[in-house]
Amino acid sequence: MTKKLLNKTSRAYSIFALLVLLVSAPFFYIATEELYIDDADEALILRKNEFLKYFASSLKESDIPVWNSFNRDVKIKDPTPVLKDTLFYSVYFDSLSKEDEPYRELNARILIEGKPYTLSARINLVETEDLIKSVAILFFIIILLLLLGLLIINRKWSQNLWKPFYETLYQIEKFEIDKSIKPDFPKTDVEEFTRLNHSLERLIEKNTLIYQSQREFIENAAHELQTPLAVFQAKIDMLIQSGEFTAQQYQILNSLNDAIARLNRLNKNLLLLSKIENDSYQEKQNVSLTKIIKNLLDFFTEQASANNIKIKTELREHSTVFANPVLIEILISNLFLNAIRHNVKNGHIEVTLTEDTLSFSNTGENKALDVDKIFIRFSKSNPSEHGNGLGLAIIKKIVELNHWEITYSFDNFLHTFQIKLK
Amino acid sequence: MKLLLIEDEYELAESIKAYLKDNNYLCEWVNKVDAAVEKISMYEYDCILLDLMLPDGNGFEILKELKRQNKTEGIIIISARETLESKIEGLQLGADDYLTKPFHLSELLVRIQALIRRKNFKGSNIVTFNEIEIDIFAKTVKVDGRMIDLTKKEIDLLLYLIGNKNKVLSKGAIAEHLSGDMADMLDNHDFVYAHIKNLKNKLKEAGSGDYIKTVYGLGYKWQND
Repeated sequence: MTKKLLNKTSRAYSIFALLVLLVSAPFFYIATEELYIDDADEALILRKNEFLKYFASSLKESDIPVWNSFNRDVKIKDPTPVLKDTLFYSVYFDSLSKEDEPYRELNARILIEGKPYTLSARINLVETEDLIKSVAILFFIIILLLLLGLLIINRKWSQNLWKPFYETLYQIEKFEIDKSIKPDFPKTDVEEFTRLNHSLERLIEKNTLIYQSQREFIENAAHELQTPLAVFQAKIDMLIQSGEFTAQQYQILNSLNDAIARLNRLNKNLLLLSKIENDSYQEKQNVSLTKIIKNLLDFFTEQASANNIKIKTELREHSTVFANPVLIEILISNLFLNAIRHNVKNGHIEVTLTEDTLSFSNTGENKALDVDKIFIRFSKSNPSEHGNGLGLAIIKKIVELNHWEITYSFDNFLHTFQIKLK
Repeated sequence: MKLLLIEDEYELAESIKAYLKDNNYLCEWVNKVDAAVEKISMYEYDCILLDLMLPDGNGFEILKELKRQNKTEGIIIISARETLESKIEGLQLGADDYLTKPFHLSELLVRIQALIRRKNFKGSNIVTFNEIEIDIFAKTVKVDGRMIDLTKKEIDLLLYLIGNKNKVLSKGAIAEHLSGDMADMLDNHDFVYAHIKNLKNKLKEAGSGDYIKTVYGLGYKWQND
């Protein structure tokens, strides 16, 4: 599966951003927690100092229970005091929220009325769970913003940047060498794109030239062959008048006759193909397919009957297309010829015309044809056959010229060529 | 009958001349526009065979010259470069028929005959051969005065055979004549055999002589024995 270029780059960016954020998340958590604890410790020490400064001198031993009952987080505890200040974690059960709450606690040695006591100050800490949650939410928001940003940047900026490239791509996709329309590449200030466009222009120009000269060559060659063929034909016509021949000589003459007929046919088809390619049949009008098929049916029924091939038709009345009438007649004739030529003795042909499809099915060799090859010039399924391998190429050309579609299928012992009209 | 053949290919011209000569068509041959125009203004012809591509110009010039001189000769264009435009232009400029190279000489001959018949048409248009009488206009055939029932194709075949009497006609040439452009696309000439057989039987039943001879392996020949 292929992906769009822009999606590919933004995918890489996104993955990288995601990775960095995910890897950094634990560090971020640890750093945050450390800072938080540091801050809590400082606050506790501050509380101790506050106590020493404002209360320690005036507080009496008898005030201790009162003090403890009013101060939840700074208590004065038992007379076995700690020797020096200690900071530690502890967990208390909170009866209000009904859950264990983490605390940071400071035990400090103080003197009240000369007697040592322990000052126990504590600060409720954010639960680790909550901290992780917060960090996660924060990171999620960051990732979301980042991806959104990347997407927007890609949409706007990259798209703008790659616009000439896509324009060029579109032009090339549209380009067909047998049409005379040349692609018009956009001007761009990106060096690479300019180079790309220049190279493509050069490539297309060169190929179009080669294609044209080849096309002209085929047409000219076919035309030039007409005269010698005419001489050849006339001379054979004259030769066979010249008297009695032996059986062997008759055989030779017959072979010559066949050969020149094939040459003529080949040349005619080549000319026809190059004429179609050179847009010699541009004039279009409404053509009744039904009528053309019916007109040709007599002739082909006669041709087919030589091999006892039956032609069955199922034609929708008044099925018309907008096309060149000469080409349509050639198309139908070639479909008939193909169906007859590649048929078997006692076979049959089915011609079906609906509103938007025309199909020719015929019996024949009990094997599907090679779909990749059948429409190529001079490709023959059976090299000993007398067909010249141009019939289907002509059919394909005419179908393409009218922007129709032709498909081949082999099903139920029938070879079917179906043309989707329109 | 006098014809003017305007054709630059010597070998082809030679064969056409020779083939037509046997049928009492006298063929004058020129290979250039100048010479053709000169001949046209000096003589009358029954038919002109015109190639479009000539060394010193285009055959259309000759058509225009004929029109300018109000000549009414029948004209058949014989050209290698067949395009729809050239065909239409030729016919618009006064040509009567268009035959694309390569063609069979037998085909050319019957086209000439048909054209001359059309040009000389004086109320009736009948071709006879001994006891056979073909009314081209009414499309009927009589043997010894009795009408026989032939299909359009059989009449066409009969005219073609009689027109090329004493000539060997290959099956390919007959097939091409009977079905135009499409025939030579199939190598199958069996339908020629079927048509010949039918025609032969119908003529025989009507009491006509057996003029259609089979030429071994090659084709057929209309011959008065």
